[in-house]
Amino acid sequence: MKKFMVICNMEFRLFARDFFGFFFALVFPLLMLFLFGGIFGNEPIYDGSGMGMMDMTVPAYSVMVIGVTGLMSLPLTIAGYHEKKIYKRFDATPVGKKSIISAQIFVNLVMTLVGTVILLTAGKLLYHIQIRGDFISISLSLLLSIASMFSLGFLLTAIGQDSKGTNILCYVVYFIMLFLSGATLPDRMFPETMKNISLYLPMTHAVDLMQGVFAGDSLGLHRQELLILGSLTLICTSVGAALYGKKDWTK
Amino acid sequence: MSHIIIQVENLCLSYKRVQALKAVSFSVNAGEILAVIGQNGSGKTSAVECIEGLRKPDSGLIRVFGKDPWLHRSELYRKMGVQLQETEYPSKLRVEEQCRLYASFYERPADWNLLLTQLGLNAKRKSPIHSLSGGEKQRLSILLSLIGRPKLLILDELTTGLDPEVRQNMWNSFENIRESGIAILMVSHYLDEVEVLADKILYLEKGRQEFFGTQKEFREYVKSRIPKTQWKNNCEKDFSLEKLYLMIAPKTTQLTMEGIL
Repeated sequence: MKKFMVICNMEFRLFARDFFGFFFALVFPLLMLFLFGGIFGNEPIYDGSGMGMMDMTVPAYSVMVIGVTGLMSLPLTIAGYHEKKIYKRFDATPVGKKSIISAQIFVNLVMTLVGTVILLTAGKLLYHIQIRGDFISISLSLLLSIASMFSLGFLLTAIGQDSKGTNILCYVVYFIMLFLSGATLPDRMFPETMKNISLYLPMTHAVDLMQGVFAGDSLGLHRQELLILGSLTLICTSVGAALYGKKDWTK
Repeated sequence: MSHIIIQVENLCLSYKRVQALKAVSFSVNAGEILAVIGQNGSGKTSAVECIEGLRKPDSGLIRVFGKDPWLHRSELYRKMGVQLQETEYPSKLRVEEQCRLYASFYERPADWNLLLTQLGLNAKRKSPIHSLSGGEKQRLSILLSLIGRPKLLILDELTTGLDPEVRQNMWNSFENIRESGIAILMVSHYLDEVEVLADKILYLEKGRQEFFGTQKEFREYVKSRIPKTQWKNNCEKDFSLEKLYLMIAPKTTQLTMEGIL
Protein backbone atom coordinates (compact mmCIF):
# COMPACT_ATOMS: atom_id res chain seq x y z
CA MET A 1 0.00 0.00 0.00
CA LYS A 2 2.88 2.34 0.87
CA LYS A 3 4.46 1.65 -2.52
CA PHE A 4 1.15 2.38 -4.24
CA MET A 5 0.80 5.70 -2.41
CA VAL A 6 4.30 6.76 -3.46
CA ILE A 7 3.46 5.96 -7.09
CA CYS A 8 0.18 7.90 -6.76
CA ASN A 9 2.05 10.83 -5.25
CA MET A 10 4.36 10.96 -8.30
CA GLU A 11 1.44 10.60 -10.70
CA PHE A 12 -0.39 13.48 -8.96
CA ARG A 13 2.69 15.63 -9.44
CA LEU A 14 2.84 14.68 -13.11
CA PHE A 15 -0.87 15.44 -13.54
CA ALA A 16 -0.38 18.88 -11.98
CA ARG A 17 2.61 19.55 -14.25
CA ASP A 18 0.71 18.63 -17.39
CA PHE A 19 -0.87 21.89 -18.52
CA PHE A 20 -3.41 20.27 -20.83
CA GLY A 21 -4.88 17.84 -18.31
CA PHE A 22 -4.82 20.30 -15.43
CA PHE A 23 -6.35 23.17 -17.42
CA PHE A 24 -9.09 21.21 -19.16
CA ALA A 25 -10.06 19.12 -16.14
CA LEU A 26 -10.02 21.81 -13.47
CA VAL A 27 -9.98 25.27 -15.07
CA PHE A 28 -11.81 25.07 -18.40
CA PRO A 29 -15.15 23.81 -16.98
CA LEU A 30 -15.04 26.68 -14.48
CA LEU A 31 -14.43 29.19 -17.27
CA MET A 32 -17.41 27.71 -19.14
CA LEU A 33 -19.46 28.05 -15.99
CA PHE A 34 -18.50 31.72 -15.65
CA LEU A 35 -19.12 32.38 -19.35
CA PHE A 36 -22.56 30.76 -19.61
CA GLY A 37 -23.52 31.82 -16.09
CA GLY A 38 -22.60 35.40 -17.01
CA ILE A 39 -24.79 35.22 -20.12
CA PHE A 40 -27.83 33.30 -18.84
CA GLY A 41 -27.57 33.43 -15.06
CA ASN A 42 -29.65 30.81 -13.30
CA GLU A 43 -32.90 31.92 -14.94
CA PRO A 44 -35.62 29.24 -15.33
CA ILE A 45 -35.04 27.13 -18.45
CA TYR A 46 -38.59 27.98 -19.53
CA ASP A 47 -41.37 30.06 -18.02
CA GLY A 48 -42.72 28.39 -14.91
CA SER A 49 -39.92 25.82 -14.67
CA GLY A 50 -38.49 25.20 -11.24
CA MET A 51 -35.08 24.42 -12.74
CA GLY A 52 -32.67 27.19 -13.70
CA MET A 53 -30.21 27.26 -16.59
CA MET A 54 -27.21 26.66 -14.31
CA ASP A 55 -29.08 23.92 -12.40
CA MET A 56 -29.06 21.96 -15.66
CA THR A 57 -25.69 23.12 -16.98
CA VAL A 58 -23.46 22.35 -13.98
CA PRO A 59 -24.21 18.57 -14.00
CA ALA A 60 -23.48 18.59 -17.75
CA TYR A 61 -20.15 20.33 -17.12
CA SER A 62 -19.27 17.63 -14.62
CA VAL A 63 -19.49 15.18 -17.55
CA MET A 64 -17.12 17.50 -19.42
CA VAL A 65 -14.60 16.98 -16.60
CA ILE A 66 -15.10 13.20 -16.86
CA GLY A 67 -14.56 13.43 -20.63
CA VAL A 68 -11.26 15.28 -20.21
CA THR A 69 -9.81 12.79 -17.73
CA GLY A 70 -11.36 9.66 -19.26
CA LEU A 71 -10.90 10.38 -22.95
CA MET A 72 -7.84 12.62 -22.98
CA SER A 73 -5.68 12.63 -19.87
CA LEU A 74 -5.75 8.91 -18.95
CA PRO A 75 -5.53 7.41 -22.45
CA LEU A 76 -2.83 9.81 -23.60
CA THR A 77 -0.79 9.04 -20.48
CA ILE A 78 -1.16 5.29 -21.04
CA ALA A 79 -0.27 5.57 -24.74
CA GLY A 80 2.76 7.77 -23.96
CA TYR A 81 4.08 5.45 -21.24
CA HIS A 82 3.64 2.45 -23.51
CA GLU A 83 5.42 4.08 -26.44
CA LYS A 84 8.31 5.37 -24.33
CA LYS A 85 8.69 1.91 -22.74
CA ILE A 86 8.13 3.31 -19.28
CA TYR A 87 5.78 0.41 -18.50
CA LYS A 88 8.47 -2.01 -19.66
CA ARG A 89 10.89 -0.40 -17.21
CA PHE A 90 8.32 -0.78 -14.42
CA ASP A 91 8.00 -4.44 -15.34
CA ALA A 92 11.70 -4.69 -14.56
CA THR A 93 11.04 -3.73 -10.91
CA PRO A 94 9.26 -5.60 -8.10
CA VAL A 95 6.06 -3.57 -8.61
CA GLY A 96 5.33 -4.18 -12.32
CA LYS A 97 3.24 -2.14 -14.72
CA LYS A 98 -0.11 -3.05 -13.15
CA SER A 99 0.69 -0.92 -10.12
CA ILE A 100 1.46 2.14 -12.18
CA ILE A 101 -1.60 1.72 -14.42
CA SER A 102 -3.77 1.35 -11.29
CA ALA A 103 -2.19 4.50 -9.85
CA GLN A 104 -2.87 6.39 -13.08
CA ILE A 105 -6.53 5.34 -13.02
CA PHE A 106 -6.77 6.29 -9.34
CA VAL A 107 -5.19 9.72 -9.88
CA ASN A 108 -7.48 10.51 -12.80
CA LEU A 109 -10.48 9.35 -10.77
CA VAL A 110 -9.52 11.62 -7.88
CA MET A 111 -8.89 14.57 -10.20
CA THR A 112 -12.30 14.01 -11.81
CA LEU A 113 -13.95 14.11 -8.40
CA VAL A 114 -11.93 17.20 -7.42
CA GLY A 115 -12.92 18.91 -10.69
CA THR A 116 -16.59 18.05 -10.10
CA VAL A 117 -16.53 19.30 -6.50
CA ILE A 118 -14.88 22.59 -7.57
CA LEU A 119 -17.53 22.99 -10.25
CA LEU A 120 -20.42 22.29 -7.88
CA THR A 121 -18.99 24.58 -5.21
CA ALA A 122 -18.59 27.43 -7.71
CA GLY A 123 -22.11 26.80 -9.05
CA LYS A 124 -23.54 26.82 -5.54
CA LEU A 125 -21.69 29.95 -4.44
CA LEU A 126 -22.12 32.01 -7.59
CA TYR A 127 -25.45 30.86 -9.02
CA HIS A 128 -27.09 29.11 -6.06
CA ILE A 129 -27.70 25.98 -8.09
CA GLN A 130 -30.16 23.46 -6.70
CA ILE A 131 -29.10 19.89 -6.08
CA ARG A 132 -32.37 18.05 -5.57
CA GLY A 133 -31.07 14.51 -5.95
CA ASP A 134 -29.88 12.33 -3.10
CA PHE A 135 -26.21 11.73 -2.43
CA ILE A 136 -26.27 8.01 -3.27
CA SER A 137 -28.00 8.40 -6.64
CA ILE A 138 -25.68 11.24 -7.62
CA SER A 139 -22.57 9.32 -6.48
CA LEU A 140 -23.58 6.14 -8.29
CA SER A 141 -24.40 8.03 -11.49
CA LEU A 142 -21.14 9.93 -11.29
CA LEU A 143 -19.11 6.74 -10.76
CA LEU A 144 -20.87 4.92 -13.58
CA SER A 145 -20.30 7.85 -15.93
CA ILE A 146 -16.63 7.87 -14.94
CA ALA A 147 -16.34 4.09 -15.43
CA SER A 148 -17.90 4.29 -18.90
CA MET A 149 -15.70 7.16 -20.12
CA PHE A 150 -12.53 5.67 -18.62
CA SER A 151 -13.24 2.30 -20.20
CA LEU A 152 -13.91 3.95 -23.56
CA GLY A 153 -10.59 5.79 -23.23
CA PHE A 154 -8.89 2.50 -22.33
CA LEU A 155 -10.34 0.90 -25.47
CA LEU A 156 -9.04 3.77 -27.60
CA THR A 157 -5.50 3.22 -26.28
CA ALA A 158 -5.84 -0.49 -27.07
CA ILE A 159 -6.96 0.28 -30.64
CA GLY A 160 -4.30 2.96 -31.29
CA GLN A 161 -1.10 1.47 -32.72
CA ASP A 162 1.07 4.24 -31.25
CA SER A 163 0.63 7.40 -29.21
CA LYS A 164 0.06 9.50 -32.35
CA GLY A 165 -2.77 7.21 -33.46
CA THR A 166 -4.26 7.19 -29.97
CA ASN A 167 -4.02 11.00 -29.83
CA ILE A 168 -6.01 11.33 -33.05
CA LEU A 169 -8.65 8.83 -31.92
CA CYS A 170 -9.05 10.49 -28.52
CA TYR A 171 -9.24 14.02 -29.94
CA VAL A 172 -11.87 13.03 -32.52
CA VAL A 173 -14.02 11.05 -30.06
CA TYR A 174 -13.68 13.63 -27.29
CA PHE A 175 -14.48 16.74 -29.32
CA ILE A 176 -17.39 15.15 -31.20
CA MET A 177 -18.93 14.07 -27.90
CA LEU A 178 -18.08 17.32 -26.14
CA PHE A 179 -20.05 19.45 -28.58
CA LEU A 180 -22.83 17.03 -29.57
CA SER A 181 -23.69 15.42 -26.23
CA GLY A 182 -25.00 18.48 -24.42
CA ALA A 183 -21.96 18.57 -22.14
CA THR A 184 -20.98 22.04 -23.39
CA LEU A 185 -24.00 23.44 -25.22
CA PRO A 186 -27.49 22.52 -24.00
CA ASP A 187 -29.00 19.96 -26.41
CA ARG A 188 -32.23 21.92 -26.44
CA MET A 189 -30.40 24.34 -28.78
CA PHE A 190 -29.65 21.53 -31.28
CA PRO A 191 -31.61 21.02 -34.53
CA GLU A 192 -33.47 17.68 -34.82
CA THR A 193 -30.74 15.95 -36.89
CA MET A 194 -28.05 16.77 -34.34
CA LYS A 195 -30.32 15.60 -31.55
CA ASN A 196 -30.70 12.27 -33.32
CA ILE A 197 -26.95 11.93 -33.82
CA SER A 198 -26.30 12.77 -30.18
CA LEU A 199 -28.42 9.80 -29.09
CA TYR A 200 -25.67 7.51 -30.43
CA LEU A 201 -22.98 9.15 -28.30
CA PRO A 202 -22.30 7.59 -24.88
CA MET A 203 -21.57 10.96 -23.34
CA THR A 204 -25.13 12.12 -24.15
CA HIS A 205 -26.47 9.42 -21.86
CA ALA A 206 -24.03 10.39 -19.11
CA VAL A 207 -25.21 14.02 -19.42
CA ASP A 208 -28.89 12.98 -19.33
CA LEU A 209 -28.27 10.75 -16.31
CA MET A 210 -26.36 13.42 -14.36
CA GLN A 211 -28.90 16.14 -15.17
CA GLY A 212 -31.71 13.79 -14.16
CA VAL A 213 -30.32 12.73 -10.80
CA PHE A 214 -29.24 16.27 -9.93
CA ALA A 215 -32.83 17.38 -10.63
CA GLY A 216 -34.11 14.77 -8.17
CA ASP A 217 -35.04 11.90 -10.50
CA SER A 218 -34.76 8.42 -9.04
CA LEU A 219 -32.29 6.04 -10.70
CA GLY A 220 -35.27 3.93 -11.82
CA LEU A 221 -36.31 6.73 -14.17
CA HIS A 222 -32.97 6.42 -15.96
CA ARG A 223 -32.80 2.68 -16.55
CA GLN A 224 -31.97 3.21 -20.22
CA GLU A 225 -28.98 5.46 -19.46
CA LEU A 226 -27.79 3.10 -16.73
CA LEU A 227 -28.04 0.14 -19.10
CA ILE A 228 -26.20 1.93 -21.92
CA LEU A 229 -23.38 3.20 -19.69
CA GLY A 230 -23.08 -0.12 -17.85
CA SER A 231 -22.93 -2.10 -21.11
CA LEU A 232 -20.41 0.34 -22.56
CA THR A 233 -18.18 -0.13 -19.51
CA LEU A 234 -18.30 -3.92 -19.76
CA ILE A 235 -17.77 -4.07 -23.53
CA CYS A 236 -14.98 -1.50 -23.70
CA THR A 237 -13.13 -3.01 -20.73
CA SER A 238 -13.30 -6.57 -22.01
CA VAL A 239 -12.49 -5.71 -25.65
CA GLY A 240 -9.71 -3.36 -24.52
CA ALA A 241 -8.26 -6.03 -22.21
CA ALA A 242 -8.38 -8.62 -25.03
CA LEU A 243 -6.59 -6.24 -27.40
CA TYR A 244 -4.01 -5.38 -24.74
CA GLY A 245 -3.40 -9.09 -24.23
CA LYS A 246 -2.12 -9.22 -27.81
CA LYS A 247 0.14 -6.17 -27.50
CA ASP A 248 3.87 -6.60 -27.22
CA TRP A 249 4.91 -4.62 -24.13
CA THR A 250 8.59 -5.05 -24.89
CA LYS A 251 8.48 -3.05 -28.13
CA MET B 1 31.96 -24.78 -6.44
CA SER B 2 30.72 -21.33 -7.51
CA HIS B 3 27.15 -20.39 -6.88
CA ILE B 4 25.20 -20.30 -10.16
CA ILE B 5 23.03 -17.18 -10.52
CA ILE B 6 21.88 -17.54 -14.12
CA GLN B 7 21.48 -20.85 -15.90
CA VAL B 8 20.32 -20.99 -19.53
CA GLU B 9 19.95 -24.19 -21.54
CA ASN B 10 18.87 -24.50 -25.18
CA LEU B 11 17.09 -21.16 -25.22
CA CYS B 12 15.06 -20.69 -28.41
CA LEU B 13 13.02 -17.68 -29.40
CA SER B 14 11.38 -16.61 -32.63
CA TYR B 15 9.51 -13.56 -33.84
CA LYS B 16 6.91 -14.82 -36.29
CA ARG B 17 9.12 -16.57 -38.88
CA VAL B 18 12.45 -15.16 -37.75
CA GLN B 19 14.42 -17.40 -35.42
CA ALA B 20 16.01 -14.87 -33.04
CA LEU B 21 17.73 -17.35 -30.70
CA LYS B 22 18.79 -20.90 -31.54
CA ALA B 23 19.65 -23.24 -28.67
CA VAL B 24 21.65 -20.75 -26.59
CA SER B 25 23.20 -22.15 -23.37
CA PHE B 26 25.37 -20.45 -20.78
CA SER B 27 25.62 -19.68 -17.09
CA VAL B 28 26.75 -16.85 -14.83
CA ASN B 29 28.19 -17.40 -11.36
CA ALA B 30 28.18 -15.08 -8.36
CA GLY B 31 30.93 -12.46 -8.60
CA GLU B 32 31.34 -13.03 -12.32
CA ILE B 33 30.88 -10.68 -15.27
CA LEU B 34 29.57 -12.18 -18.49
CA ALA B 35 29.62 -9.99 -21.60
CA VAL B 36 27.26 -10.77 -24.46
CA ILE B 37 28.73 -9.61 -27.75
CA GLY B 38 27.68 -9.80 -31.36
CA GLN B 39 26.51 -7.63 -34.22
CA ASN B 40 23.25 -5.69 -34.28
CA GLY B 41 20.38 -8.15 -34.62
CA SER B 42 22.43 -11.10 -33.35
CA GLY B 43 19.93 -11.73 -30.52
CA LYS B 44 21.78 -10.17 -27.58
CA THR B 45 18.89 -8.07 -26.27
CA SER B 46 16.37 -10.85 -26.97
CA ALA B 47 18.42 -13.26 -24.84
CA VAL B 48 18.75 -10.70 -22.06
CA GLU B 49 15.03 -9.90 -22.12
CA CYS B 50 14.21 -13.59 -21.71
CA ILE B 51 16.46 -13.70 -18.65
CA GLU B 52 14.81 -10.52 -17.33
CA GLY B 53 11.42 -12.24 -17.60
CA LEU B 54 10.20 -9.60 -20.06
CA ARG B 55 9.96 -12.01 -22.98
CA LYS B 56 8.66 -15.55 -22.98
CA PRO B 57 11.00 -17.97 -24.78
CA ASP B 58 9.62 -20.58 -27.20
CA SER B 59 11.57 -23.34 -25.51
CA GLY B 60 14.57 -24.01 -23.30
CA LEU B 61 15.30 -23.62 -19.65
CA ILE B 62 16.09 -20.38 -17.86
CA ARG B 63 16.73 -20.20 -14.15
CA VAL B 64 17.66 -17.04 -12.28
CA PHE B 65 18.42 -17.67 -8.61
CA GLY B 66 16.90 -21.09 -9.33
CA LYS B 67 13.57 -19.69 -10.54
CA ASP B 68 11.87 -19.23 -13.89
CA PRO B 69 11.96 -15.46 -14.53
CA TRP B 70 8.80 -15.52 -16.67
CA LEU B 71 6.81 -16.99 -13.76
CA HIS B 72 8.53 -15.27 -10.83
CA ARG B 73 9.37 -11.89 -12.28
CA SER B 74 8.33 -9.54 -9.48
CA GLU B 75 9.90 -11.81 -6.85
CA LEU B 76 13.21 -11.95 -8.73
CA TYR B 77 13.35 -8.19 -9.16
CA ARG B 78 13.84 -7.85 -5.42
CA LYS B 79 17.41 -9.03 -5.99
CA MET B 80 17.91 -8.15 -9.63
CA GLY B 81 18.67 -4.69 -11.08
CA VAL B 82 18.44 -3.93 -14.76
CA GLN B 83 19.36 -1.20 -17.15
CA LEU B 84 17.36 -1.59 -20.32
CA GLN B 85 18.78 -0.81 -23.74
CA GLU B 86 16.10 1.72 -24.59
CA THR B 87 13.87 3.29 -22.03
CA GLU B 88 12.61 6.66 -20.96
CA TYR B 89 11.30 7.97 -17.69
CA PRO B 90 8.41 10.40 -17.12
CA SER B 91 10.05 13.53 -18.51
CA LYS B 92 8.46 16.00 -16.08
CA LEU B 93 9.54 14.10 -13.00
CA ARG B 94 12.64 15.44 -11.25
CA VAL B 95 15.72 13.28 -10.81
CA GLU B 96 15.33 13.01 -7.02
CA GLU B 97 11.61 12.20 -7.37
CA GLN B 98 12.45 9.37 -9.74
CA CYS B 99 15.05 8.05 -7.28
CA ARG B 100 12.60 8.29 -4.37
CA LEU B 101 9.97 6.46 -6.43
CA TYR B 102 12.32 3.59 -7.31
CA ALA B 103 13.68 3.40 -3.76
CA SER B 104 10.11 2.89 -2.52
CA PHE B 105 9.91 -0.40 -4.47
CA TYR B 106 12.50 -2.10 -2.28
CA GLU B 107 12.55 -3.06 1.38
CA ARG B 108 16.16 -2.09 1.92
CA PRO B 109 17.12 0.36 -0.83
CA ALA B 110 20.58 1.79 -1.31
CA ASP B 111 21.27 5.38 -0.26
CA TRP B 112 20.30 7.11 -3.49
CA ASN B 113 21.68 10.43 -2.28
CA LEU B 114 25.09 8.79 -2.14
CA LEU B 115 24.56 7.18 -5.55
CA LEU B 116 23.64 10.59 -7.01
CA THR B 117 26.96 11.94 -5.76
CA GLN B 118 28.95 8.90 -6.89
CA LEU B 119 27.45 9.08 -10.37
CA GLY B 120 27.95 12.83 -10.66
CA LEU B 121 24.26 13.66 -10.71
CA ASN B 122 23.97 15.56 -7.44
CA ALA B 123 23.82 18.95 -9.14
CA LYS B 124 20.94 17.66 -11.28
CA ARG B 125 18.79 16.26 -8.48
CA LYS B 126 16.16 19.01 -8.82
CA SER B 127 16.22 18.98 -12.63
CA PRO B 128 13.38 17.48 -14.62
CA ILE B 129 14.46 14.37 -16.47
CA HIS B 130 13.77 15.92 -19.89
CA SER B 131 16.53 18.48 -19.25
CA LEU B 132 19.24 15.84 -18.76
CA SER B 133 21.81 15.12 -21.46
CA GLY B 134 22.05 11.62 -23.00
CA GLY B 135 24.99 10.71 -20.75
CA GLU B 136 23.20 11.96 -17.64
CA LYS B 137 20.12 9.93 -18.50
CA GLN B 138 22.36 6.89 -18.93
CA ARG B 139 23.90 7.50 -15.50
CA LEU B 140 20.42 7.88 -13.99
CA SER B 141 19.48 4.58 -15.61
CA ILE B 142 22.54 2.91 -14.03
CA LEU B 143 21.69 4.50 -10.67
CA LEU B 144 18.16 3.09 -10.80
CA SER B 145 19.52 -0.37 -11.57
CA LEU B 146 21.61 -0.21 -8.40
CA ILE B 147 19.00 1.28 -6.08
CA GLY B 148 17.60 -2.08 -4.90
CA ARG B 149 21.04 -3.42 -3.79
CA PRO B 150 20.88 -6.18 -6.43
CA LYS B 151 22.69 -9.51 -6.30
CA LEU B 152 22.43 -9.69 -10.09
CA LEU B 153 22.89 -6.73 -12.43
CA ILE B 154 21.83 -6.85 -16.06
CA LEU B 155 23.23 -3.98 -18.09
CA ASP B 156 22.23 -3.59 -21.72
CA GLU B 157 24.78 -1.23 -23.29
CA LEU B 158 26.26 0.05 -20.07
CA THR B 159 28.34 2.97 -21.24
CA THR B 160 26.65 4.02 -24.46
CA GLY B 161 26.53 7.82 -24.52
CA LEU B 162 29.06 8.29 -21.74
CA ASP B 163 32.25 10.30 -22.20
CA PRO B 164 35.63 8.49 -21.89
CA GLU B 165 36.36 9.70 -18.37
CA VAL B 166 32.99 8.62 -17.03
CA ARG B 167 33.34 5.29 -18.85
CA GLN B 168 36.65 4.68 -17.12
CA ASN B 169 35.13 5.55 -13.72
CA MET B 170 32.19 3.30 -14.47
CA TRP B 171 34.51 0.37 -15.24
CA ASN B 172 36.27 0.85 -11.89
CA SER B 173 32.92 0.96 -10.10
CA PHE B 174 31.71 -2.24 -11.73
CA GLU B 175 34.95 -4.05 -10.92
CA ASN B 176 34.33 -3.12 -7.27
CA ILE B 177 30.74 -4.31 -7.55
CA ARG B 178 31.90 -7.64 -8.94
CA GLU B 179 34.33 -8.04 -6.05
CA SER B 180 31.42 -7.76 -3.62
CA GLY B 181 30.02 -11.00 -5.11
CA ILE B 182 27.39 -9.52 -7.42
CA ALA B 183 26.94 -11.24 -10.77
CA ILE B 184 26.81 -8.99 -13.81
CA LEU B 185 25.42 -9.77 -17.24
CA MET B 186 26.31 -7.04 -19.68
CA VAL B 187 25.61 -6.44 -23.34
CA SER B 188 28.15 -4.26 -25.05
CA HIS B 189 29.40 -3.15 -28.44
CA TYR B 190 32.51 -1.66 -26.83
CA LEU B 191 35.07 -4.45 -26.84
CA ASP B 192 37.63 -2.43 -24.87
CA GLU B 193 35.07 -2.38 -22.09
CA VAL B 194 34.44 -6.11 -22.42
CA GLU B 195 38.18 -6.77 -22.37
CA VAL B 196 38.60 -4.84 -19.11
CA LEU B 197 35.52 -6.13 -17.32
CA ALA B 198 34.38 -9.52 -18.56
CA ASP B 199 35.38 -12.83 -17.02
CA LYS B 200 33.49 -14.72 -19.70
CA ILE B 201 32.14 -13.94 -23.14
CA LEU B 202 29.04 -15.13 -24.93
CA TYR B 203 29.32 -14.46 -28.65
CA LEU B 204 26.13 -14.62 -30.70
CA GLU B 205 25.87 -14.56 -34.46
CA LYS B 206 22.42 -14.35 -36.07
CA GLY B 207 20.85 -15.88 -32.96
CA ARG B 208 23.34 -18.76 -32.85
CA GLN B 209 25.70 -19.23 -29.95
CA GLU B 210 29.15 -19.22 -31.54
CA PHE B 211 31.19 -19.08 -28.38
CA PHE B 212 30.88 -19.15 -24.59
CA GLY B 213 33.94 -19.15 -22.37
CA THR B 214 36.77 -17.08 -20.92
CA GLN B 215 38.70 -14.40 -22.80
CA LYS B 216 41.67 -16.76 -23.07
CA GLU B 217 39.43 -19.43 -24.56
CA PHE B 218 38.02 -16.84 -26.98
CA ARG B 219 41.52 -16.28 -28.32
CA GLU B 220 41.90 -19.99 -28.98
CA TYR B 221 38.49 -20.06 -30.60
CA VAL B 222 39.44 -17.23 -32.99
CA LYS B 223 42.71 -18.98 -33.74
CA SER B 224 40.83 -22.11 -34.69
CA ARG B 225 38.53 -20.22 -37.03
CA ILE B 226 41.04 -18.32 -39.17
CA PRO B 227 43.90 -19.46 -41.44
CA LYS B 228 47.26 -19.89 -39.68
CA THR B 229 49.01 -17.25 -41.79
CA GLN B 230 46.33 -14.70 -40.98
CA TRP B 231 46.75 -15.43 -37.30
CA LYS B 232 50.53 -15.13 -37.51
CA ASN B 233 50.42 -11.83 -39.42
CA ASN B 234 47.72 -10.17 -37.38
CA CYS B 235 47.28 -11.60 -33.94
CA GLU B 236 50.43 -13.20 -32.68
CA LYS B 237 51.66 -10.05 -30.90
CA ASP B 238 48.68 -7.72 -30.77
CA PHE B 239 45.55 -9.53 -29.92
CA SER B 240 43.16 -7.01 -28.41
CA LEU B 241 39.67 -8.40 -28.06
CA GLU B 242 38.42 -5.95 -30.64
CA LYS B 243 40.98 -7.14 -33.16
CA LEU B 244 40.17 -10.77 -32.47
CA TYR B 245 36.47 -10.11 -32.84
CA LEU B 246 36.89 -8.29 -36.14
CA MET B 247 38.76 -11.32 -37.53
CA ILE B 248 35.70 -13.52 -37.17
CA ALA B 249 32.71 -11.18 -37.21
CA PRO B 250 30.61 -11.51 -40.37
CA LYS B 251 31.37 -8.77 -42.85
CA THR B 252 28.69 -6.12 -43.00
CA THR B 253 27.75 -4.10 -46.06
CA GLN B 254 30.59 -1.72 -46.92
CA LEU B 255 29.55 1.74 -45.83
CA THR B 256 30.85 4.57 -47.94
CA MET B 257 30.43 8.34 -48.03
CA GLU B 258 31.98 8.64 -51.48
CA GLY B 259 30.11 10.95 -53.83
CA ILE B 260 27.98 12.42 -51.06
CA LEU B 261 30.04 15.54 -50.41
